This record gives sequence, structure tokens and C-alpha cells, in this order.
Amino acid sequence: MRTTIALLVLAGPALAEPSVPVFADETATAGLTTIYQGDWEYMVGGGVATFDCSGDGFPEVFLSGGAGPSGLYWNRSLQGGPLTFEKTDSIALDAVLGAYPLDIDSDGMMDLVVLRHGSNRLMRGLGECRFEDATETWGFDGGDAWSTAFAAIWEKGQDWPTIAIGNYVDRYEEAFPWGSCTDNWLHRPDGTRFAPPIALTPSFCALSMIFTDWNRSGQWALRVSNDREYYKGGQEQLWHLDPGQPPRLYTEAEGWKRLRIWGMGIATADVNLDGYPDYYLTSMADNKLQFLKDPASGKPDYADLAFRSGVTAHRPYTGGDLRPSTAWHPQFADVNNDGRLDIFVAKGNVAKMPDFAERDPNNLLLSAGDGTFVEAGDRAGIASMSVARGAQVVDLNLDGLLDLVVVNRWTPAEVWRQTGEPGGNWVQVRLEQAGPNRNAIGSVVEIRRGAAVERHEIAAGGGHVSGSVGWLHFGLGAAERAELRVIWPDGTAGDWHSLPAGTFHILGPDTGARPWTPG
Amino acid sequence: MPMHRRQVLGLALAAPALLRVPPALAADRADVSRKVLLTWHKLVLELVRHTATYVPPVAARAFAYVGITAHEALSSGNPALRSLAGQLSDLSPLPARASGVHDEACVLHGALQAVVGELFANTGPTGLRAMQAMGRKMGETASTGIDGAVVARSVAHGEAIAERILAWAAADGGAVIENMGFPMNYTPGTRPQDWVPTNLIRLQQAPLLPGWSNCRPFALPYSDACDAPPHPDYDEAPGSAFHDAALEVYETSRNLTQDQKLIARFWSDDPMLTPTPAGHWISIVLQIADRDSLPAEAISATLAKLGVAQADAFISCWSTKFRYNLLRPVTYINRHIDPSWEPFLITPPFPEYTSGHSTQSGAAMTVLTSVLGEGFAFDDATHEDDGLPVRSFPSFAAAAEEAAMSRLYGGIHFRFGNERGLDQGRAVGAYAAALKTES
Repeated sequence: MRTTIALLVLAGPALAEPSVPVFADETATAGLTTIYQGDWEYMVGGGVATFDCSGDGFPEVFLSGGAGPSGLYWNRSLQGGPLTFEKTDSIALDAVLGAYPLDIDSDGMMDLVVLRHGSNRLMRGLGECRFEDATETWGFDGGDAWSTAFAAIWEKGQDWPTIAIGNYVDRYEEAFPWGSCTDNWLHRPDGTRFAPPIALTPSFCALSMIFTDWNRSGQWALRVSNDREYYKGGQEQLWHLDPGQPPRLYTEAEGWKRLRIWGMGIATADVNLDGYPDYYLTSMADNKLQFLKDPASGKPDYADLAFRSGVTAHRPYTGGDLRPSTAWHPQFADVNNDGRLDIFVAKGNVAKMPDFAERDPNNLLLSAGDGTFVEAGDRAGIASMSVARGAQVVDLNLDGLLDLVVVNRWTPAEVWRQTGEPGGNWVQVRLEQAGPNRNAIGSVVEIRRGAAVERHEIAAGGGHVSGSVGWLHFGLGAAERAELRVIWPDGTAGDWHSLPAGTFHILGPDTGARPWTPG
Repeated sequence: MPMHRRQVLGLALAAPALLRVPPALAADRADVSRKVLLTWHKLVLELVRHTATYVPPVAARAFAYVGITAHEALSSGNPALRSLAGQLSDLSPLPARASGVHDEACVLHGALQAVVGELFANTGPTGLRAMQAMGRKMGETASTGIDGAVVARSVAHGEAIAERILAWAAADGGAVIENMGFPMNYTPGTRPQDWVPTNLIRLQQAPLLPGWSNCRPFALPYSDACDAPPHPDYDEAPGSAFHDAALEVYETSRNLTQDQKLIARFWSDDPMLTPTPAGHWISIVLQIADRDSLPAEAISATLAKLGVAQADAFISCWSTKFRYNLLRPVTYINRHIDPSWEPFLITPPFPEYTSGHSTQSGAAMTVLTSVLGEGFAFDDATHEDDGLPVRSFPSFAAAAEEAAMSRLYGGIHFRFGNERGLDQGRAVGAYAAALKTES
């Protein structure tokens, strides 16, 4: 059984207590003022997108505003300095639940997919953080739903992306809204525009989607996490997406096991270093950490090792509220640069559900290196009791230390700068290729971790209505160099690079590794 | 052709208020009452499904109080009906109606809106929004064409009934559910046959509601009045009765037919994914009421008795479960037969003996048979929205027996837990069946 192998990897020798990163709360001074507002229609959503639209390499921040206006903030931070943002006039849309960056037309200027109540919008980047609405120009049917999930991939042979949009409850149903999940849509390309969408039926109120090459077949599938609160007859889903073929669900006969959770967010990473993507699924009370049981079987059958790994994060760990938690955005990242992936989880009550924690701190689960994780949110200074939703763990001031921005319901987004002593070395890379799919969505970055190779799928989607495109951060621990390579979306394996710690490089399939320096 | 009890009920339960209005209007108002009663109950089925504390025993309790409220609301104005006050534990006489004309639909609406709103005050924002919408819609439905003073008087009376029921409910020991029903601390037993957690959900490392038998029963004289006899002696030796029972679960599971899988899922009735096992039987009654156009008085009396039977069944069953504290088949089979075996259904997080599904199904079939008759055939579309096909049953007894057997197919109960559970439920149900709802 592959599970046995995975557990053996997890059950390595116990290491020292992980280094706890130190964060400074710069919410009051950073200049992010957008608040995710609204009533029932905005109980889910509340996303943040980070991406460089100014061209200086620093990630800008786009915040959804719910019933209020969204906001795009120019990153004016200096390398290693305090976080400073300047609000722009761009993309001040109403009814925004979340957004994901995606260079749809591959012109080198980042576009933004904006998820809304009502018509979703494709905002085409024009440079200098200016945008125009290209929804109709690109033939994209924005629909009229409550859109709460996104994923994108370039299917083989296509110059234009395929976009999956997850939709939630029929918001016009009042007395009996349960069972009214509206169709998710798959927008496939028609040349350099979008064809009419295909309904991903059945749809079960998706709150997160991500394309993933779960079995390393080279054929990415669509993983969908669904909110059991609203579906009837539903479950978590995995869709085949074979080129030129209609999407079709993985079945029980193929090994897919029925799982029904309050699916809120998906994060993926190769946590156990077995070469296959693992998944962290957020929910209410217990969260899930899924490892593929037996890759050789070809079956998408997963073991949940959240309990054994110490990452159920099922109730608050500080603050005295012992009721079950409500988890939203999950993200894997090496927050303390020790060379091991950690997990961040944004937490917050749906509204005022009295059976769930009202003071529900965000989690920072640090890898102990032996397959278990240690809670450090309070010690790191990010255990906010605000009602969190979307988030991004991202290096906002390009000093190699990951920072954090979290969208909260009803109160301003919070932003923390990591300020402590680095727990290890780091390297950051950005993927660029000529032609379509400029940011190489659908590639895999492999980095050597001793004798093992850690694989990172480069995907657009996942989390909770929050995403990022830009620098990919890798902690190195004590290593002075990073040994890594890219498997490009066409399957071509790039050369192994040996990159010095503390550097930025732009990697291309034909251009090798080009050093880059902020400022 | 089975005798439909509604033929009797329909003759006996003419509401006096309706006799004061023209027959055509009276018929219309009777339809409105039915609609109010059924629609609120359909919402309750959803609220149970979507409120985190509504695990099966808690759900059964709520169904009982909602059903009793509806019956008391109607019986307070209909001399053909008999109040359950004095028949149910600690239920004193309900408020009498004020002088003046009352409208039964408005009384029902006032009572149901108040009792449902309070019992499900802890639901999520969608449930609260749905209750508000239902309040508006059913309020309009009930009051259209009725004099404003009559509406106000009737709604106020319904609310007074609900207030009394809620006060009664608040003292039964089951009103406060913390941590979704799981104790924060739990010391497991040390005997080899003791229940141990069966999953890797952190919250479920303690059993669900170990103190539920301390709740005040409705019609039972005390919680263990219908206790089950001991299960077969625990034994790990092949050939022993206990080992054989486990082997039957194991072998059945390995050779499940598609129909058996369907049966297992049909009666699975998982909390937060369905209206729970008690809600399944409530749903059956609502479907029969729709099909046979049962009058509101008959529906509410049936729901009250059914609710009482099922709530008491869970109290009784939980008393037995935590007295014996028996391990689940998955634990025994993994230890002594096949360490890699997994049951078809998810094993519920509490002890095995007796089967809760079987106990409450036995109680339900006893009450429904007493009200609607032996050999009462019906179709059950409870899970049609969830993609499970309609099942047809020749009688309530047949349905209950299938429900019990489904737990063996699901790999989560031994046969003896199901069979003794059915026995226990029948005994519990007899108490509810003996309640008098007609004068």
C-alpha cells in the first residue's frame, strides 16, 4: 500500500521545534482600506489577488469589497521595508467576491478574472495598473450567478486558457435555498476568445477549484471542493478534462471515494515528498489533509491524515473560545524558510453562528519535519480574531520573508510584514515563456530536498476566491543553493539549475535562469 | 385494499370554527391549514439538515415539540381533539383561547412560526433567512381574506401555545447542545468490548451525547423503561456467537448487492446531510398527508405521536448504548478478522448496542401502524432530491425492518443490535401509540 510509504516519509525522525516567524501587523499604516461588506449574499467570498501590474516586480494587491467597491492597490513598498500601498482608481467594481490574476491574452500584462454576484468580468491589463473590461471582447459569458470559485489551465494545443467558474446557491431562492446549487461553467477557448460555456453538471455549490495533475499523467484534472450545506446528492468532485472531450466526472468505479464536507478551500502541495500532489481541504470543524493512497493503482483514492499530522485545526487554539472552527483560505508555503512546507488557514465564523467559534484565530501550522505540524499562529503574531475569508501568503516587499494579507468580513483587510530573523535561506523564481501561457500555468517546479524531490504544481485557482501569480518562493533552510528545474506545460523537462540563496531568477524554457534584482 | 385511517379521522375531526362558515369557504380554510402545517414541517426538515447541533436524538426531540405544538394549537379550539397535557411528562394544561373567533390556519401559523423560530434560533444565516421568508409567506397565506382582528387574536394564541411548549422544552435536559454534541473530555472504557472512536475526525474522539438518556422522556415513564436485554457475550473466539455476528457483517459487506447498497444509503440518514432518521419518518408522514389529503387535525396528531415515539426511542436507546458501551463492528473486525476492512457506510461515533435507527424505526412503525393501520402501503421519496430512487413499502413494519437491516448492510451494526433495537423501539412506540389525541 502506498499509504504505508507515505506514512513512512511522514514519520521521519522528530526534529527540533520549528523556527517561529515573527510578523508585524502593519494594517494601520499599509494603506489597504477596502472592506469586504454585505449581508447574506456575501457570507462566502472575500478574496484577494496579488500580482504585478506595475512592472516593477513587486506584487500589487486587489481586494474584493462585496457590497462595497473593490480596490486595486499599487505596491509602493521598498525591498525589506514597511508595507506601503497606494489605492488606484482601477477595477472599483461592486458585488465582487474574489479575483484571480491570469494573463489571458499572454501579452505580458496581467489580466484579472473578477468573480461577482451577477456578471463575472475579465479585466484586461494595459500596463501601469490600468485595466479595461474585455469580457465581451473576449466572448466571455459572465453569467448571472453567485460565483465563488475559479481555476484555469491551458489545455494541450490551445493558445487561450480554459477557465472553470464555480457557482454557489441560487441567490433568489429564499425559503428553500437548499439544493439550489447553480451550474458551474467551463469556458473553453475558441481560438483567441471563449466559446459558450459548458455546464459542469452536476454542480454542488463549489467554493474552490483547482486544476491538478493528481496522477502525474500529464493530463490535468479539475478538483472541486463543494459546500455540503447547500447541495443535495453532492460530494467532492474530480473531473476528467481530456483534450477535445466533454468533461466527465471520476466515478466510484475509477476509485473516487465519496466525501461530503463543507468544502471552503483547496491548497495543494507535495507535503510528503512522494512526488504526488497532496491536498488540504478546509471545512467547518475538522479540516482534511489528503495523501494519495496508492499511486500505482491509478485510483484517486485518498487517505486523510490531518489528525495524525496535527492539522485538523478544528477549534481555536487561543482566545478561549472552544467551539468548532470555520476555515476558509488554506495555503501551503514555507513561511519560516526552513525548507519545509507550512500551512496557513484563514478562519472566521460564517456570520454569527452560535455553535461555531466567534473568536476564531487564523492558523499557522509549521512543519516539524517529522510529518507533524505545530501551531504557531499566536506566537507568530497573526492570530487575528477578525472574521477572515480569503488570503495570500506572499512576499510583498521582496525581502525573502513571506508576508500575509487577509480579507475579513465587515472589517478592513489585515496585512502583516514578516520582520523577524530569517529561519533559513530562500530563493524566488518567476516562470516566463514566449507565446501563449506566458506564466507557464500547468508547469511543475521540482526542487531537491536532500534525496527527495519536492514537486510544486503551478496552478491558477484554489484557495478561497484568492490567488497569486508572480514570484514563487522556496525556503532552503541552511542550504546555500537551490537545485531546481521546471517541467514546462508541454511536458518538456528543463535543465536543473543551481541558484544561490537569497536571489531572484526568471526561468524560461529557452532562456535558462536570468537573475533579477528588485528596485 | 388497506383501510386508510384518514377515512375515520376525517369524519371525526371537523373543526367547530369551520362549522360557522359556509361549507365551500370551510373547505378552503381547511386546505390553508393543511398548507401551513405541511409547509412549516417541510422547512423544519431542512432546518434539521442544516443546523449543526441537530444530530439524530436532538432532531427527534425537535420534531416532537413541533408536532405537539401543532396538535395543541388545533386541539385548543376543537372539542373533538384531546390535549396531550396530563399525558406527557410535566406538560400542564395549555393556554385557553381568548373569547372571539379564531382562524385555525392563523393559530397554526402563529404557533409554528414561534416554536420553529426558537428551536432553530442557532441555525446559520441561510436558515434564519429562510424562516423569515417562510414567516412572511405563510403569514400571507394564512391571513388572506381573514379579518385583521381575527388574524391578530389567532396568531397571538398560537404564539402563546408555542411559548408554553418552549418553556416546557427548556427544562427537559436536552435544550443546550455544546460542541456539536461531543463532550470536550472523555475517558474511554478499558474492557476489550468497550467502544472506541472509529474515525480520524478530531471532534469525534468522544462519543455523541453520552448523557442523552438523562433527558426527560415524553411518554415513557423513565428513560430505561424499555431497556434491551444483554447482547451476546463478548467473545473473540471463532465460532462464538459474538464472532459469528461480526463475521456475518464482514461477509455481508464483502458481497453486497447493488440493491443492498441502495438500501444502506437510503436509510443512512446522516446528520447534516439529510433530515436524520427521525426526519425520514416525518417525511414519510408528510408524503402520505399530501397523497391522501389528510386533514390538518389528523396530520398534527400523527406528527405529535410520531415525534414523541421517536424522541423517546432515542432516549431509551441512548440509555442502552451507554450502559453496554459496545464496540462497533469495524473495531472488532479490524482487530480479529481483517485489519483492512472498511464498512460501506461511515460508522456513527457512538456505541453499537442497540441500533438507534432500528429503535426509532420500531417506535415509528408502531405509532404509524396504530394510527393508519396494518398493511398501509406507501411510497417513500424522502431522498429523491439526493438522487436516491423512490422505494415502495407494503407496510410500516416492512419499512422499519428494512431500515434496521440497512445497518447490517452498511457494516455498522451487528444483527443482534438491529433486532433488539426493533424490539426496544416497538415497546417504546407502544407508549406513544397509547396517547389520546381525540376526545
